[in-house]
Amino acid sequence: MRLVLAEDLYLLRTGLQRLLQDHGFEVIASVDNAPELLRALVDEKPDVAIVDVRLPPTFTDEGLVAAIEARRQVPGLPVLVLSQYVEQLYARELLADRAGGVGYLLKDRVFNDDQFTDAIRAVARGGTVMDPEVVARLMTRRQRDDPLLRLTAREREVLGLMAEGRSNSAIAQRLFVSEKAVGKHCTSIFAKLGLTPSEDDNRRVLAVLAYLNS
Amino acid sequence: MADMEYRLLLTLVALTIGWILAGASMCVLTRALLMACLDQRGRALFLAGPGRLLRQAGQQVVRGVALIAVSAVYLTVFGAYFLTDQSGHANLFGATTNLGAAGWTLVTVLAVAALAAVAPRQAGYVAAIAAGGLGLYLIFVACKFPAQTYDDEWYGWIRDGVDVQGLGALGTAALTAGFILTRRTIVADIRAREAMLSARVDQLTETRAEVVDSAAAELRRLERDLHDGAQARLVALGINLRTAERLIKTSPDEATSLVAECRDTATLALSELRDLVRGIYPPVLADRGLGDAVRALALDCPVLVTTDIRLAGRPPAPVESAVYFAVAEALSNAAKHAQATSSFVRVAFADGMLRAEVHDNGIGGADPGDGTGLAGMERRLGAFDGILAVSSPVGGPTIIAIEVPCDLSSPKTSIS
Repeated sequence: MRLVLAEDLYLLRTGLQRLLQDHGFEVIASVDNAPELLRALVDEKPDVAIVDVRLPPTFTDEGLVAAIEARRQVPGLPVLVLSQYVEQLYARELLADRAGGVGYLLKDRVFNDDQFTDAIRAVARGGTVMDPEVVARLMTRRQRDDPLLRLTAREREVLGLMAEGRSNSAIAQRLFVSEKAVGKHCTSIFAKLGLTPSEDDNRRVLAVLAYLNS
Repeated sequence: MADMEYRLLLTLVALTIGWILAGASMCVLTRALLMACLDQRGRALFLAGPGRLLRQAGQQVVRGVALIAVSAVYLTVFGAYFLTDQSGHANLFGATTNLGAAGWTLVTVLAVAALAAVAPRQAGYVAAIAAGGLGLYLIFVACKFPAQTYDDEWYGWIRDGVDVQGLGALGTAALTAGFILTRRTIVADIRAREAMLSARVDQLTETRAEVVDSAAAELRRLERDLHDGAQARLVALGINLRTAERLIKTSPDEATSLVAECRDTATLALSELRDLVRGIYPPVLADRGLGDAVRALALDCPVLVTTDIRLAGRPPAPVESAVYFAVAEALSNAAKHAQATSSFVRVAFADGMLRAEVHDNGIGGADPGDGTGLAGMERRLGAFDGILAVSSPVGGPTIIAIEVPCDLSSPKTSIS
């Protein structure tokens, strides 16, 4: 799997590069600033990109802005954004094009390399992987007047795990239920959110988006 | 004599306007002269460089001369028309003597009242100059013109040079009054400025002390949090790694579980550092500024928050930060204490003033004095001459309004 890596801190960049190579990823470009990142993404069109939010020259949200811009030029280009912080605001911006293939994780998640590489592969496949902290913060909100109110507590739980990028079998394992039961919950969630089967490919992304926008 | 009445009325009106113009020009000129020794602005300009002071004073003089020119043209054009005597002889100064002492006094009072209404702060100077001018004029008339009366008409009280000696005395009195008034006005002006300055100094001393205290307290808190949190965890991490290193050959299982523990410790340390940084300077605020930071705050708030943010640029970083934390405090109060279910935040900038409002539909009863954290925010805003006002009747709703005077920088350019 061809991968572009953008991280400005040398120690982290080399550490990540080694971890990724150990897991069989081919790092075709490893950059430390936003303009180079944008060029690498648009020119190389990698299978997936791993991008730090804060990059030179401004050291603000350059990485995020470059990732969104690259996806504007190359729709659906899979991008996994890493950051020391997760913000719902940024999660929404990443998901706004509704194209999927987006991940947004805290840098600590790299510690668990198996889950991390699973997340990279999920994003490369067009899935959506949101950090558990984004999901947890959504859970703290009080009930609001929105379509999610029609979901049962269990369905909300399933949707939260879906937002974290887990597959049906992973969700089933986590909730100690059968995969078939999870499938039923998913069907029910899609129906309640008004997502028709014709949108099947994208339904998980749209459901997560509805969840984040609640 | 109807024509005479008409002419006299017109003369009164025309001269009042003329006097206003003349008074205003004198006032501007006087201010130009007083600026150097009295004016706060004058003093600041002098300190910045005498050249700038001279230029500014010069501008005032030019303005005064221009006003005098306007009044001269006015008096020449309209005065010549209104003040023509019956023989048709245009005699500006001669005709004005028809007004006499009482008429001129009336005209002066009218002119001063009109000027005072327009520029109350300058009223003292206006009155002083007008009294002086009137005095000079009356003395001039008393010396020059003979008496003529209109006893049989309604305007008989207006008489021409009634009594040369009386007129002279009145003129002298008016002139003296003008001098006294000038001196008093100047003294009052200086006192008012001094009082204002000393009140400002008191306020600055107080807010500076508060800011220094709270900054020191904040640093102590950070030191303690780092010491007991991330630092302690890093020490534990080092110890565990060393132990794992030692065990790696003899009991690899134990070593593996220790390393896993190290990972958890690192995650915890990172999470603590994240919380710490959020409390100092939230990342979105650093990345995007106040607008998006408040939007992010709204998304994270347990209460449903709608936002209306109108900012064309970024306020200075310390102001952004103070306003952000005040809004955050208000929203957290809405969720925690006010049991609100919805809230509305408006942030806008207009006329050099950054304004933020937080409305909620909770139970109200918030009091900045009872340790809700609002008092701290108020102090923090006070350092920028900002204010925080709370309206929170028991039963709700609560409205918290923040105002900070500042400038906006042009919006950040980003790649797009």
